[in-house]
Amino acid sequence: MKKILVADDEMSIRLLYSEELKEEGYEVYLAANGREALEIVEKIPLDLVILDIKMPEMDGIEALRQIKERRPDLPVLLSTAYGEYRQDFATWASDEYLVKSSDLEDLKAMVKRYLKE
Amino acid sequence: MASDRAAFLTQMVEVLTSTVSFGERLNNMVHLLARHLKVDLALYFALDKTKETLFLNISSQGPIPPHMRVEFPLGQGVVGETAVTRKVRVVHRLQPEALSANAPLEKLHPNFHTLAAFPVADDNFLYGVLVLLDKQDRTFGAAERQSMQLAGLMLAGTLRQAIVQEEAKKRIAELSVLFEVGKALSATVELDELLERIVSTTAKVITARGAALEIIDRATGETRVSSRYGQIPAVCPALKEMFPRPAKTTGPPHFETQSVDADGRTHYCLAVPLTFKGQLQGTLCVYDKFSPNEVYLPFDPENRQLLITMAGLIVNAIENALTFQQVEDLAERNERMVQNLTVLQEISQVLLTTVQEERLLEMILQGLTLEQGLGFDRGVVLMVDEASQTLTGAKGAERAAQPSQAALPAALLSPLPQEVPVADWQIPLRPDQGALALAVLKKRPYHYQEHLKEPGLPAVLPGKLAAREFFVVPLIVKDRATGVILVDNQASGRPLESEPLNVLNMFASQAALVLENAHLYSTIEANNRELLLIRERMLESDRLAALSSLASGMAHEIRNPLVSIGGFARRISKLVEETSPLRGYVEVIQEEVTRLEKLLREILDFTGENLSYYGDHDLVKLIEDTLVLVQRDLDAANIKVVKEFAPLPRLHCDHRQIKQVFYNLFSNACQAMPHGGTLTIRTYPLEKEDGLYEAITVTDTGGGIPMEVLHNIFNPFFSTKDYGTGLGLAIAQRIVSRHYGQIEVNNEMGKGVTFLITLPVAKYCLVKDAGQNAVPASALKAPKGGRR
Ligand SMILES: [Mg+2]
Repeated sequence: MKKILVADDEMSIRLLYSEELKEEGYEVYLAANGREALEIVEKIPLDLVILDIKMPEMDGIEALRQIKERRPDLPVLLSTAYGEYRQDFATWASDEYLVKSSDLEDLKAMVKRYLKE
Repeated sequence: MASDRAAFLTQMVEVLTSTVSFGERLNNMVHLLARHLKVDLALYFALDKTKETLFLNISSQGPIPPHMRVEFPLGQGVVGETAVTRKVRVVHRLQPEALSANAPLEKLHPNFHTLAAFPVADDNFLYGVLVLLDKQDRTFGAAERQSMQLAGLMLAGTLRQAIVQEEAKKRIAELSVLFEVGKALSATVELDELLERIVSTTAKVITARGAALEIIDRATGETRVSSRYGQIPAVCPALKEMFPRPAKTTGPPHFETQSVDADGRTHYCLAVPLTFKGQLQGTLCVYDKFSPNEVYLPFDPENRQLLITMAGLIVNAIENALTFQQVEDLAERNERMVQNLTVLQEISQVLLTTVQEERLLEMILQGLTLEQGLGFDRGVVLMVDEASQTLTGAKGAERAAQPSQAALPAALLSPLPQEVPVADWQIPLRPDQGALALAVLKKRPYHYQEHLKEPGLPAVLPGKLAAREFFVVPLIVKDRATGVILVDNQASGRPLESEPLNVLNMFASQAALVLENAHLYSTIEANNRELLLIRERMLESDRLAALSSLASGMAHEIRNPLVSIGGFARRISKLVEETSPLRGYVEVIQEEVTRLEKLLREILDFTGENLSYYGDHDLVKLIEDTLVLVQRDLDAANIKVVKEFAPLPRLHCDHRQIKQVFYNLFSNACQAMPHGGTLTIRTYPLEKEDGLYEAITVTDTGGGIPMEVLHNIFNPFFSTKDYGTGLGLAIAQRIVSRHYGQIEVNNEMGKGVTFLITLPVAKYCLVKDAGQNAVPASALKAPKGGRR
């Protein structure tokens, strides 16, 4: 079973994402901030990470940088409420940049694409 | 006898020394001889001026009627022979040839028997011959002959005295004429009056009916002065034609001619040259010598001599008068110049008291039209409008009907008495638009005169401003014509003289300067106002940005809950049966959420991209931050990084965009050196003409860019597998130029590529702060967008 980490500071989002992804047949890990996310990345051989940007303690961009340092091969999808961070080139290190939407079909399709092989 | 002789001698001395005229004395002497020698007839033959003929001058019988006029050529007859031999001769009728040789004397004494002739001569000169005729045979005794000889000698003495006296008289007369002339010439130094006197006096002393004088400039042939007096016949040649073809006679140069008029009367003319030092040359001419019987006479040599002598005097007098006139003109001009300069100085002092264009225009027009100022009837100032290339009326004024009594500086400050409306006056700046446009285009003054129309110089003064004559001078500042001043004397009709044009020119340069100053001042004021306005607008947009940032923050906070609401609504709808009424409710939630999300996208995702992230940043830190991001690629390709960073002031920039530029350049370098190499990054300050720049060079050792690629590296639609993504450099260039900088490429084939980026340092970033690299941005900083 493919292992996916969802990091978001909003509990309702974490819940929504995990429900949807579990339904798709993935094993879902959850983190409420970047620091927690990094801890999980260290411990679990993850297959994909979905990162929120705006989080307390450690934001998604810093988390992205550190994740890519440790696991450059690990696909990281940024999922954020802020469309304009797309311009911040620091976000370019991510594999995908998605603006959050109540319609999760795009997100799921993308995840599927990364975890195909 | 002796007493007789004594009486004769006494009488002779009495006759010859008497105070009657020489003619009378001669006459008395002839009679005395006749009486004393008791002869029928005593005659005196005088030698004429030609010294070739002896003519009967005096007879003891009284006046000689015309038919009794007798003459003998020198050497002929007893009279002629005596004149030659200067010896006494006595001839008797019966002597051979006595009658035939002296036949003319028969007329005077038909039956003379004795003819005696003795010379009237002194040691070197023969004056005439005395002849005695008697009907009896007379043999004059020694005493009688002695008396005769004595009488001859004494007569000669008297005659010589007469000649000397005559010559002295003539000389005195001539001198008195010249004295008269001299008196006339020295009576005045006024040239015009002098010339009148010269011609009238000349005519009078020569007794001519007319006289004329003309002086020309030898170089140009132009007449300098001329004067005429009396009757000058039209048939005579013009003065100019008489010289320089001098008459072919010997002696001093003169010109003499005669011509016949339509009535058949002969006119005479005599001219002499007037020779001056230097450029001038003149002619003095007299016409038709006057005689009482209405017939004109030719001029004689004496007249000629007199005229020549007079010419010398006249030349002197005229030269004096000319010199005097020059000195006087000079003095007058100097005085006027001093006066004008004083006026100009007073005006310019007053002009310096304001920088308001309107006030200056009023003062300038006052200066032009005031009696105390330049005193023109009317003045107009027109200014050049650079944008429309036209000359536009600025202000005009007329001279006051009642002249102001105030001193000039005070009068300049008083309001304009009478304005001339010129606001609607527009003259395109083309050469065919007349003197005003030309004054601007050619940067020179014009003196327009109606009767002297230059070709291509149409009168362009509209309607009531039309003038027969006007001056127009350009207002010139730093070799640029900013307008013109136009003046005329149309109202009074006084002619414009060239001298005020010089003064006007000086005035115009002063006026141009103060007007330009005023203009610059008002430009600076306008710029200041504009700056204030911009500052206000910036503050306004700062507020707007803050507001929008707040709105954007709030919107983001809404998005997360919306995602949850919408997402769970979708999940619910999947779980609810299609027939359940809940299904409809959930779908409503779903649709509403979708609508709100769409609205947010429109607001945030669009406007958010327009927010900029400008701030003051340390360029070196931006480079270091970027290097971290490409560190993996650098290590993978075994690329060594060399950093040469000079300390730089902070750069006002959008740090994200600048990082993107470096990221693109570094990525390209990595791709260019897949098998290792050196990436050299240098920063240094660069002084350019327009200020300080920060320069960054990024150099790789990737072998350089092929020529055909090099031309297109900044082209966003060009991409090559070998080098970069294509778009990367295009984006970099766009970002750099958005920061008012430049990106240049220096390609060394076989070695590598160097990119040079220069970014201008904002002025306020250069203000140093103790301990800090630079102070943060001032109030002028661009609005800030959202934060990470
Ligand atoms: Mg968040």
